[in-house]
Amino acid sequence: MPDSTTNSNERSPSVMLPRYPGQQVAIDAAAGQAVALHGLTKSFGGRAAVDHIDLEVPTGSFFGLVGPNGAGKTTTLSMVTGLLRPDAGRVIVAGVDVWADPAAAKARMGVLPDGLRLFERLSGPELLGYLGRLRGIPAKVVSDRATELISVLDLADAGNKLVADYSTGMRKKITLAAAMLHSPSVLLLDEPLEAVDPVSARIIRTVLSRYTSIGGTVVFSSHVMALVEGLCSHVAVMAGGRIIASGDLASVRGSAASLDDAFMHLVGASEVDEGGLSWLGSSQA
Amino acid sequence: MILGLVLALAFIGLITVGLIALRARPDIALTVTITFFTVQLVGWLVAPMVAFGVDETVDPARFALLPIRPQTLQRGLLIASLVGYLPAANMIVLLGASVAIGVPWSVFPIAVVCALVQLITCVVLSRAASTSMAGLMSSRRGRDLGMAVGFGVFVLYMLFSATVNGGNGAGVASGSTSVASVLAWFPPGALASLPSLVASGQWGRAALAAVVALAALALAWWWWSGALQRSLTTVPSTTAGSSPAGRGREGHAVAIGVSGTARVVAGRDRLLIWRDPMRRMPWLMIAFLTVIWPFLVIQGKGAVFGVAFGALLVGAQAGNQYGVEGSGLWLHLQTISDRIRARGEVLGHAVAALVPGMIIVLVALAIQAVWRNDYDKVPAALGVSLGALLGAIATACYLSAALPYAMPQSRKSLFASSIPGQKGRTAGASLGLLGGGLVVALPAGIAAALSLTVDPVWGWVALVIGPAVGMLALWWAARLTADRYLERAPEILAIVSAGDRG
Repeated sequence: MPDSTTNSNERSPSVMLPRYPGQQVAIDAAAGQAVALHGLTKSFGGRAAVDHIDLEVPTGSFFGLVGPNGAGKTTTLSMVTGLLRPDAGRVIVAGVDVWADPAAAKARMGVLPDGLRLFERLSGPELLGYLGRLRGIPAKVVSDRATELISVLDLADAGNKLVADYSTGMRKKITLAAAMLHSPSVLLLDEPLEAVDPVSARIIRTVLSRYTSIGGTVVFSSHVMALVEGLCSHVAVMAGGRIIASGDLASVRGSAASLDDAFMHLVGASEVDEGGLSWLGSSQA
Repeated sequence: MILGLVLALAFIGLITVGLIALRARPDIALTVTITFFTVQLVGWLVAPMVAFGVDETVDPARFALLPIRPQTLQRGLLIASLVGYLPAANMIVLLGASVAIGVPWSVFPIAVVCALVQLITCVVLSRAASTSMAGLMSSRRGRDLGMAVGFGVFVLYMLFSATVNGGNGAGVASGSTSVASVLAWFPPGALASLPSLVASGQWGRAALAAVVALAALALAWWWWSGALQRSLTTVPSTTAGSSPAGRGREGHAVAIGVSGTARVVAGRDRLLIWRDPMRRMPWLMIAFLTVIWPFLVIQGKGAVFGVAFGALLVGAQAGNQYGVEGSGLWLHLQTISDRIRARGEVLGHAVAALVPGMIIVLVALAIQAVWRNDYDKVPAALGVSLGALLGAIATACYLSAALPYAMPQSRKSLFASSIPGQKGRTAGASLGLLGGGLVVALPAGIAAALSLTVDPVWGWVALVIGPAVGMLALWWAARLTADRYLERAPEILAIVSAGDRG
């Protein structure tokens, strides 16, 4: 891997580092794209979890990545966010190659992964304060932003409760706050609304819609079709480690009555037919 | 695994043979057996609190949804609890004890029955305690409490062994005999003394002892039954979390440059050491060990040098700095991806270990110097200790990136330190740490040796060389660690995330 950064000034986009051939070509090609994936591949134990996928996410879009469990959504997002090294392929986020210049890329993205812990023994405000100052943002700015995020995301009641004692919805919200703290241009969210109560879900959706309306890009994964249909401008359908359809919502849905129907058709799943399970309800044994 | 089994068998065999041999000394046999029975019962009572989560069947909530009546369940659990390595090992030792107290052979059957009752009482009491604590132990506050109890047991054990080591060699002294005569009135002591009471024809006291022992068993059974009913029919309050964070001093350092980043990271580490029992307990143990170790091991002058051992242990607290976060490491991965901040992070963790470590080492040294009147050796000992401290921290930093390992994040037990499948990594990192600390302390060690053999002036040389070499090692390690971390961050995250499942 090329040397990523040799000075502390990496937040300035003008300081670019030695590139490997082809990188600039890919970056130029990704103009107008918030996220661009080229031939992204990852296999675990010989089985391809993500199989040479190409994907383009237009800047300012609300992009839904849908697919059944095991389709490769989390693996893909982990590689995009720099948490999992790809076997092959290239990831460009906001004009920066993530795996060639991770420092610059990570300054431009906000991340909400699924199923990873936080610093559990810090309170919400402490967590935001710590992460903001660790990004080099002045303490005053950090505390103003943290206070505002906490009030908008309805976490003010939690006060100084430790993150360890947060509910699922609260955890997603504090992670989202941490993802937005440094004002990134792209948010990459893995299942942000999974197992979240309706009130918190509504708040998260409102905040994300507001973020895209002012030019931010949101990429999020989900397997709840109705949610994606109601929220997204663009969508990509994943199954078996491949992208089987992508584009704006209308074109992916096509002539189907709903995204759900279109998805079933695309994935090739069959409906459960009548019959079977006849013993259910017949006895108590 | 096999080695552990052999060692355990050897240990059990040794105790058993020792107890059997006591048959020849009936005067001591009774004292030892009464004490042993009492310690055994207390051990069984405390064990589930210290090692919660090790035995999954201890959690009665697992049976709540099965259509089994509590009485049936309780009997089933008792039989299940009597089967296994641990009860078997206890029974073997107890049989040895019955040989010791079953004098003459005519009361040996009584002794065996007493041993059996003792085992059943142990199991029932242990189950009752763990069942009534199951709700508590499934909440985090309860587990934190368990760690505190574990530390208390550890301290008691160390003090106990210090007393034994520091004894005047008179063997079983009159003090312990009088303690045993009191303990004999309690259930386990009553069981242990029952055979001898029968043998000597003290029927009244024997009957009383039997009543005391059986009543205890009945009470424990009743306690267990009540706790079982309660835990099967009520939902434990798992929301009873820890107390809120309080208005901690957040600090205003900002991560600009290496020192700014180091200050931010060290500030958080300091907060967490204070707040998180998983990080606090090892510090308490190290502080305690560093102070008490030289008393235990080194008799007479020169004990000041024993402090260097504690200094090596302090290094372990800077160890596995990526693994200690568990999968929470992703937050750092997302924030720290340039070399400057990566170095700052390493140094921040190092400073968070260095500051309390220095205080512990200085206090321990002062105590040793005053106690043994060893002031002339202080410069050399301080040099060696600081060299070892800095060296161990430097090595620990480097190994964090070179040989990271997962740490169990759900803190099921005070003693669970490695994840299945990563035992080799854990052991390698621990050994490397001690080795690295020793190597860095070597120059100061040589100077210290010269101060003892050639000229005391060398002690001052050691005082200069130790910290200097140590600081150099730390600075160098921070660079290496940061580079290694940036190269392998996703792989490190994958390894340490395994701790979430532990």
